[in-house]
Order: sequence, then C-alpha cells, then structure tokens
Amino acid sequence: MTATLPGSPPQHPDDLAHQLEGSGDVADRSFRSLAYVAGGLVLVVLGLITWTMASRSSDALSHMGLDFFTTKRWSPPNRVYGILSFIWGTVYTSVIALTLAVPISLGIALYITQVAPLWLKRSMIYIIDLLAVVPSVVFGLWGVLVLSRHITGFYGWLSSTFDGWPVLGTIFGSNPQGRSFFTAGLILSVMITPIVVSLAREVIETTPQTEKEAALALGATRWEMIRGAIIPHSKGGLVGAVMLGLGRAMGETIAVALVIGSATGQITLNALAPGNSMPAVITAEWGEADTLKKSALIAMAMTLFVMTIVVNMIATTVVNRSMKKSRGGA
Amino acid sequence: MHTITRRRAFIGIMSLALLASACGSDSSSATTTAGGATATTAADGSSDLSATLNASGATFPKTFYEEAIAGFTEANTGVTINYAGGGSGKGRQDLADQIVDFAGTDGTIKDADLPGFKGGDVLYFPTVVAPITVSYNLGVDGLQLSPATIAKIFQREITNWNDAAIAAENPEATLPDQAITVVHRSDSSGTTGNFTKFLDKSVGPDNGGIWKLGTDSTVEWSADTQAGDGNGGVADVVASTKGAIGYVDLADATDAGLKFAAIQNKAGKFVEATLEGASSAAAGAEIKDNLTYSAIWAEGDASYPITAQTWIIAYAKQTDAAKADALKAFIKYVLTDGQTLAPTVDYAPLPADLATKAIAQLDSLVVG
Amino acid sequence: MSLTVDLHGKRSWRMMKSHFMVGLMFLAFLVILVPLVAVIGTVVAKGAGIVFRDFPDWFTKSIPIRSRAKGPGMGPAIVGTVVITAAASLLAIPLGILGAVYLHEYGQQSKPARVIRFLANVMTGVPSIVMGLFIYVVFTLRFGLSGLGGALALACLMLPVVIRSTEEMLRLVPGHLREASYALGTRKGRTILTVVLPAALPGVVSGCLLAIARAAGETAPLLFTIGIVNSTNWNVFSGPNTSLSYQIFRNATDPRAGAQERGWGAAFTLVAITFLFTVLARVITARYQRRRG
Repeated sequence: MTATLPGSPPQHPDDLAHQLEGSGDVADRSFRSLAYVAGGLVLVVLGLITWTMASRSSDALSHMGLDFFTTKRWSPPNRVYGILSFIWGTVYTSVIALTLAVPISLGIALYITQVAPLWLKRSMIYIIDLLAVVPSVVFGLWGVLVLSRHITGFYGWLSSTFDGWPVLGTIFGSNPQGRSFFTAGLILSVMITPIVVSLAREVIETTPQTEKEAALALGATRWEMIRGAIIPHSKGGLVGAVMLGLGRAMGETIAVALVIGSATGQITLNALAPGNSMPAVITAEWGEADTLKKSALIAMAMTLFVMTIVVNMIATTVVNRSMKKSRGGA
Repeated sequence: MHTITRRRAFIGIMSLALLASACGSDSSSATTTAGGATATTAADGSSDLSATLNASGATFPKTFYEEAIAGFTEANTGVTINYAGGGSGKGRQDLADQIVDFAGTDGTIKDADLPGFKGGDVLYFPTVVAPITVSYNLGVDGLQLSPATIAKIFQREITNWNDAAIAAENPEATLPDQAITVVHRSDSSGTTGNFTKFLDKSVGPDNGGIWKLGTDSTVEWSADTQAGDGNGGVADVVASTKGAIGYVDLADATDAGLKFAAIQNKAGKFVEATLEGASSAAAGAEIKDNLTYSAIWAEGDASYPITAQTWIIAYAKQTDAAKADALKAFIKYVLTDGQTLAPTVDYAPLPADLATKAIAQLDSLVVG
Repeated sequence: MSLTVDLHGKRSWRMMKSHFMVGLMFLAFLVILVPLVAVIGTVVAKGAGIVFRDFPDWFTKSIPIRSRAKGPGMGPAIVGTVVITAAASLLAIPLGILGAVYLHEYGQQSKPARVIRFLANVMTGVPSIVMGLFIYVVFTLRFGLSGLGGALALACLMLPVVIRSTEEMLRLVPGHLREASYALGTRKGRTILTVVLPAALPGVVSGCLLAIARAAGETAPLLFTIGIVNSTNWNVFSGPNTSLSYQIFRNATDPRAGAQERGWGAAFTLVAITFLFTVLARVITARYQRRRG
C-alpha cells in the first residue's frame, strides 16, 4: 500500500521522518526530548531504588556481616539481625504456591486456547482477569477472617492422615495452625494463577497452526496433539511464565502478612506451622524500628528486591527468547 | 471537523496532565512545611482551640484513648487528634523522630535511646492503669495459673492443657487433651514489656530462674509460637485458635469475648483480672520524680499481679503554640473527666494523688 | 517436525485418555472458581449490607474514633483512595505514555531502547513494599507523611505497566497512517500526537484504567508513606491521609465486631471501585475492536 513517487526509490516511513526531523522546529524537538526523558525515567527510578537500598542497608550489613543472611536469630533488643528464617518463609510459601498454581494454571491455559469454543473462551478469560484485579488486601481479609478459621479442621485431617508417611508426613506435620505457611501458600496460589494463565496463553498461542494440524492429521487425539506439538514448542516460554508467577509470589506482602502467623525464627518443612516472610516482617516491624533496625529491614527489602529482580530477569529473558524463536520459526 | 476537535481535546488533556504533575511536585515542598495547625489566640477557653495532633504508640490503652479523644473533640470541635496505635515501640520511635506530637507508651525510654529524641526533654504523663489478662481459648472456665506455670507455658515447656502442673493448680477443672498455642505480640510492645517484667520479677533469675527470656518490649520467643499485631491482633488470634493462650489488655479481651485466668499474686492469692485488683496494685506503687512507676508484681492480697501503667509522652519544649495548647487541654481532660470515663471501657483511674501530680506537671509543658 | 507421542495404541483407549485430560483441564478452571466465588461472595454478603444499611452515611461520615463502636463512616478512606490514586495516575500515565512513545516511535530497536524495554518489564516485578520503602527514604523522611508520598509509590508501580500496555497498543497502529501523515509534511512529533496516539487511544485508555484499578487496591506502598487519619483530608500534598486498603488491613486484625464490619464494608467498596474500572476498560476495548471490525 506504500505510495511512492514515480522514479524515487521506495522509502521506509521512518527514513522520511528522519529527513523531516532534521529541520525540526522547537515544538517537535521538545516533544522528542520529553519522550526521551520519560523513557529514561525507568532507568532513573530503578537506579535510585538500587542506590538508596544499598546505601541505607550498609549499616546493618557491616554490623552483622554474612550472618545477616546465614543465621536465623532475629533479636532487635540485642541488636542481632539474622534473616534466614524469613528468607525460608518467603521461599517456602512461594514454592507451595507454585506447586498448587502451576498445574491449575497450565490446565486452564490449555483449555482456553485449545478446547473452549469462542464464547466460553471469552468468558473464561474474563473471569480469570477478574481474579487478577481483586486487591491483595481483600484476599488477606478473607484469608484471616474466613479461611484460616475454617480450614483448621481440614489441616487436622491432613496432619493425622499423613502422620508417619515419608514426605507428606513431614509437610503436613503436627500441631496444625490456621495461620501457617500453607495458608499463605494457598492464598498466594490463587493470586498468581491469573498471571501464569495469561502468560501461558500467550506462549501457547505462538505454536504454529501447521504443527498442530500436522499432529491431528496423523491421527493424534487432542491430548496427544498438546503433548506432542504444544508442550515441546512452548516449554521455554511456560517456564518463564511460571517464574514470573514465582517473582510475584515472593514479593507479595499484605495477604501473606495477615495469614502466615508471624512466628520468628521458624525454619521447618512443616507447612502447617506458623512462620514469617520478609515482606511480612518489614510490614510488622518498620514503625517501631530505630536507625539500625530500619537499616536491617531495608537490607531485608534489598535482599527481596534482588531475589525478585533476578527471577524476573531470567523469566523475561526466557519468555522473550522463546517468543522470538517461535515468531522467527513460524 | 469532528476528528480534529477530538484530537485537540486529546492534546489538551495530555498537556494538562503534564502540567498538573509538574505543579504537583513543586507545591509539595511548599505546603508540607506549613504544618497541620492553625494558630489561634492562646486563650484559656478551650473552645477556641484549633489544631491537629498526630499521635501513635501503645495499643494497651488505645480503647481508652479513643474514648477520651471522642469525648474531648466533641467538646472542642476545632481539634482533631489522630491516634494511630502501632505499639509502644513505634510511639517512642515516632516521638524521637518528631513524626508525632505526642505518643502513648507503657514502658519508659531506655537511657541508651534518650540521645535519639531530637526535641529534647520528654515528659511522662501517667493516664490510667489496667490489668493485662492471660486470656485463653478453651472450654474451661475460671482457670487459675501461677507465675511459674505461665512462664513454662510461654517458654513451651508445658505444651498441653492436660499437663500435671496446670491440673495441680486447677483441681476442680477437667482439662482436655489439647495442644497449647502460645500467642504473643509481633510488634515492639509495652504490653510484652510489662508481661515479661511480671514473669521476670516473680520467677526470673533472682527467684528460681524458671523464666529465662528476660524482659523487654520484644523477647526471643520460641519459634513454634504465633504472633498478632497489637493487643487487638493477639486477642483476635486467641479468639480464633482453639487451645490458644496469650496476654491481652482487659478492654480488648472483654471486647473479643475471651476467657481469662486468675493469676497468683505476690501474696500467694489467685486474683481475677479486675479494675479493683488493678487499682489496689497501683495504690502501693512507688512514684519517681518524673512520674514513672511500676505496678507490676505489687504487694497486697487484692492486687492483680500483672497490672500495667501507661503514659502519654511529649516534649517539654513545644514548637507550635496552637498544638501545645490543644495538647495541654487534651492531657488535662484525660486526667480529669477522662478518669471517670475510664472504668466504662475497662481501665482503672489513677490514684488521686498521682493524677494531681500529673496535672501539676502540665506547667512544665511550654512553648519555646 | 517430529511427534514425540506414540500413536500406535488402541484408538478408543487414547480417546478416553484425551477426554480425561481435557476433563482435568476444565476441572482446573472449576477449582479456581471456588476461591473466586468464595472471596467475592463473602465480600458482597458481609460488605454490601454494611455499605447500604446506612446509606449515604457510609460514604460521607468520618471513621468512628471509637473502633469498638459499630456503624458507618468510610468517607475519609474513600476520599483518600480517590485523591491518592488520581495523583498517582496524573504522574504515571502521561510519563508512561511518553515513555512508550519513546520506545516504539523513537528508540525502536536501538540498544538503549532495548535495555529500557527489558528493564520496564523487570520493573513490573519489583515488590510493592520495596517501592513503599524507597519512597519513604527519598520522600517521606524529608517531607513527612502525606497522600503525595503514597501517590509517588503507586506511580512508580504504575509507570512500567502503562509503558508496556501503551507500547503494545502503538504497535497495533498501522504504518500507513504514519506514512500518510509524513507525506503531508507533518513532523514526527506532531504525527505522533495527532495521528498515532489518537488512533491508539481506546487501547491506551483501557490499559491505563486497568493500571488504575490495580493501583487503587495496593496497600503495602501506603503503609509507610501516608499515615492514618479518621477525618477527611482532601489535600493530597499535606497532612496524613488514609485509604480503603489501609482500613481493610487495619480492621482485619481487630477482634471487635464493629471494626470487622467496617473492614468488610471497605472491602466491598474497594472491590466495587476496582471492578468498575476493569469493566470500563473491557467495554472500551470491546467497542474499539468492533469498530476496527
């Protein structure tokens, strides 16, 4: 559709724009610099976060040394700050959340993309998106006032049923509590499902139609087509989607703070025991913290920041690569 | 034509928004320095008062302060008081950082922390006393507990309600086979300070050494315990967890419908958590010159052994005349009309002589 | 291509297995409906009554100073949520759109643009509590508690979201529109403002509405930056403020019936606001798609 003057070589619209830019007036140039500044703002904000966090946490880190990360004794009156148990809480609740959310999210994403007729597909997407906009504090409110109170019976059943079993006996251990790692993981799994579903959908939809049709033409059933064509094709992207869910789960604050039970120094595989996570501790203890403790809490926030950023960077790279590969390959 | 006007409108909105955001960051620095109070004539008539007082701190007296603030601001409509709670530790830290105009605290400021108070000398105004209950969630009424048993429970040495030590103190009760869940505070708390002080004084290192966690606004609880945010938070966890036990102020425990134990006092008597028990404990307390005192583990047959005191703390030197007037008027209200209000929300009034001393101390609160 | 699946088994058995797996997938959807229905259901069941019982007091009255007292008043929190979110939007949306314009119209595939695009993606994953602490350190310590502090933290969270969704939308604007404008001798900046952005407007607006809905529900960034009040503060620039999310958080750990009632009422109000924005975004998108055919 590109209309070109007879005789002149076809030109890319942006080359044309560059020519026009060269003689640009003041308004045009100032708009351009505004756009550049706005783009650069992302760099500035991320840079500022890193710098403030790093400079503010140095007091606590030099006070505690490596013990800050490797010990679990957290005793502000004695000026001892070891965050290992909170790192454990963050990691363990996120792992529980992923264990529950991944199969469910992938199932939903596959159903939406491969099975559902258009009308159903639309309403399913709509419903899942609804889940994504429920504020985390509302999940927290429901978690603490409803779920944690009514789930203790079920936890008791889990605990006694799996008593003595090799792995499950440890995870569903003794003295189950309504506010626990598992309740936090349960709430988190609901919260990260919409994110994983929507990313997984995007990834799955990049599978070339030809590969799917080839599988079906060979007489494969729908499930075999999914296993043979879709899964191998989108494996990388799906891993990325799951990791983005992980990043989100690790950083979640309010809902976890309300239901995890706030137990300090707890490192256990018993998912039914109360624990604590890094964001939850920051929430609970920031207000009363003196200078050194504030520094310790900021160092904890920086630990969380680095963990989530690393997870996100890997995930973004993985997703980008798999999308690019499939676009290029198609 | 239609599309052109729409485009214009869009550009207009864009530039307006940009302008607004630019102006926003400018005016912020200008307005925040203005402060919340409007100066008025420093008249004696309290109805002329006009100021916003921000405060935070102890949750132990929060129910009483809410009542007092409501009463005071109804009479002085020009005054707004925001009491944010957050725990005694937060109150002291916020006052030190001059984020608030006054703070509530159940404990005194440690000498080591004093240099951190940027506004100079701090005055203590005692307000009320009240029992800290040992509340529990169990189908047994009228439990009796000794300090030694409480210490063992909170150190996780006794982990089941049918333990022999509990049974020995409650011969008539049928105790179920139910695991104990210990609930304490997640925030730095004067209630924790006073509760552990009670255990430290009664069965601490000098008295048999059963209690080993010391006393402070947070102590190193065993990892398999739970925590709640504020007195309300602890009450909420106890109320919703079968077999739970925790320490909560009387007002919160009553509001949450909790059962609480009778505690053995210094005279060896089991005493219920009542306002009479608290008053009796406070009556004999030795008051220091700066109006600090402790009613914990007091003498007397009728004294409830975990009776906590609480103070409003503020800088002696106030910087804003309108705020200072409002603050003085509020503290005076708490120490006069507020004292008759206290029992209606489960707090005991101060002994009369202490209230008089506190009112006299208002003269030390000066603008300068 | 190669299929890794063995197609030699008996057809009926394989079909059964396929149906079973598809059934499991649908089951996954039903499973996730349980918490959704439970949460929304409880919020509506417990909250709607509180909100409308004392209509319109719920929206106009101050929050009771006595937290044990039952009864309405969430006015200050509603006002706080509105002014804080509005201030955050005024900061983040223009800047976010401009950032996207830079990425898609100016930077394109250049190295700096690729880095910024990558970092904007990464920035969406920065935990909200980290943003709150960041603003506390750089803003609140100097200027005190105010709605603006909360707005700045929320704006930092919204910025990358707006950039990403706007860039998606700019990508959908057909190239021939730009060409036609250039052919008329219009400069690039003017072309973007008068041709490209208006063409992408419905998509951009719906992306921004979703970002606003998310921001309105955030709690963690506000905990350290806005303080708390019981009376209405329209001034976003000065004095402590409060928000619906903060009130929900506070009342969630209060055992008193009156406080919990207000918690549910605030939750209902907040969910209603976020859903309203989401539905609005949906409607705009749907209209747009229909118009484009």
